[in-house]
Amino acid sequence: MATQLATHIVTFQLNGRPHAVTVAPLTTLRTALREDLHLHATKAGCGQGGCGSCTVLLDNELVLSCLVPVTLVDGRSVTTLEGIGGPGRLHPLQDAFHDHFAAQCGYCTAGMIMAAKWLLDRNPNPTRAEIQMALAGNLCRCTGYVPIIEAIEDAARRMSKGVKR
Amino acid sequence: MSTTAFFVPRTVEQAIDLKREHGKNLVVLGGGTIVMGLVHDGLLFPKLAMSLARAGMSDVRRRDGWLEIGAATPIARLAALKGATTLERAAGMLGGPALRTLATAGGNLFAKAPYGDMCVPLLAMDAELEIAGAGRRYTVPLEQFLSRRSLKNDELVVSIHVPKAQGRGAYLKLGRRQANTPSVVAVAVQAVLDTNGKCTDVRIALGAAAPQAVRAKKAEAVLIGRRLEDATIKAAAESAQAECNPATDSLASAWYRREMVGVFVHRALDELGRST
Repeated sequence: MATQLATHIVTFQLNGRPHAVTVAPLTTLRTALREDLHLHATKAGCGQGGCGSCTVLLDNELVLSCLVPVTLVDGRSVTTLEGIGGPGRLHPLQDAFHDHFAAQCGYCTAGMIMAAKWLLDRNPNPTRAEIQMALAGNLCRCTGYVPIIEAIEDAARRMSKGVKR
Repeated sequence: MSTTAFFVPRTVEQAIDLKREHGKNLVVLGGGTIVMGLVHDGLLFPKLAMSLARAGMSDVRRRDGWLEIGAATPIARLAALKGATTLERAAGMLGGPALRTLATAGGNLFAKAPYGDMCVPLLAMDAELEIAGAGRRYTVPLEQFLSRRSLKNDELVVSIHVPKAQGRGAYLKLGRRQANTPSVVAVAVQAVLDTNGKCTDVRIALGAAAPQAVRAKKAEAVLIGRRLEDATIKAAAESAQAECNPATDSLASAWYRREMVGVFVHRALDELGRST
C-alpha cells in the first residue's frame, strides 16, 4: 500500500548525525531545519526556487530546501552550512569568504557556500566560468558577485594545497 | 486550510489507485518545484498531495533507438545524457543546478507558460507520452496532449518516449537572467537536410510564445524543399513571428516576445545552416 501520511515523524542524517522531526504534510525541509531543528544558516528567501538562499545538500546533491517536502528526505542525508564548519573550525570556503569580503548582508552566503562546496566536491579546480555556472541559481543583491567568485577561486587553491576541509 | 495527507506511493499502480480514489482533489508532485512555489505563495491549498519521487518512474532507457524517460526523472539526469541532442541542451539550460536536481521531466510538461521549457525540444523531436490509468496504457503524441490536456481522473503520464534525433538540432533560450528564470522565449529546431542542403523535414517548436509550447507550422512549411539561405531563414522567422500568440507578463510584453520569436528562430536556423 502507499503510505498515507498525516502528521508524521521523519528521520534523516543531518550533518552526519541522526535527527527526527514531527511534521505536518508538505512541511518543507527549509521549515524543518529552521523552525524545528533551529539551524538558521539556511535562509528563507523567495520560496519559489528563484533565489538560492535556502540551498543545501541532499545526498550530496544540490537542492533548494524550500521546495523539498521533508517527508521525501526520510532516510536520506542532509548537509547544511552548519555541517561543513563553524567558529574555530572554519571550512576553507568560509575562511576565503571572510578574507575576500564576499558577504555583505549575508543573506545569500549560506546558499552560495553550499553551491560552491557542491562544485568543489566534483571539480576541485574549476574555471571562473564553471564557478559562475555553479552559482547561477544563487542571487546576491549586495556584492556584485566578484568577491564571491574570487573567494571560491581562492578556496579552491587553498584546498588543493591540502588545507584541511 | 491545511494539507491532511501526503502520499508517497512506491509503484505506478499505487499512484494510479490514489488518483482513481481522489481524482482532481489530489495534487501531484513530480519534483515539487511548481507545486511548492504555489503553496508558498498562497495560490494553492492542496487538501491531498502525492509525490511520484519514489514510484519507480525515474529511469532512462534506450529501446529500439528510442529514449524512454520516466516521468519522475530529474532534469539534471537529462542534462547529463551524452547524446548531444537539443533535449540535453535544453535540460542543461532549465532552472539552475539545484532546481535541476528536483524538477522532473514529467512535471515540467504540466508547467504553464512561460515555464515548461522541456516541451520545446520534446515537440521539436516529436516525442510521445505514455499514459497509464487503471487497467490501461497508451501513447499519445506530445503535441496532441498539449493542445487537449485530456488526462482522465485516474491517469498519469508515466514516461516520455523520444525517437532518435534525425538530422541536426538547435535549442536557444532567452531569459532575463542566466538561471532560475522562465523563458522570454525558447526555440528548438530539428531539421533534416538532403545532400543538396535542401530541407526535407523540419520541426520548429516555440516556448513562452503561446499558452503552451507550440509548433510553428507555417514557418516549417516555408523551409520545406529549400536551402537554409538568408532569404528563406528570414521568411521563416517572420512567419513564426506572425503565427505565435505570446502573453504579456512580468518578464516580457507580448510585443517583445513576438519580436524575440523572430530573432531567435532566425538565430536557430542560422546555427543549423552553419552546422555540418
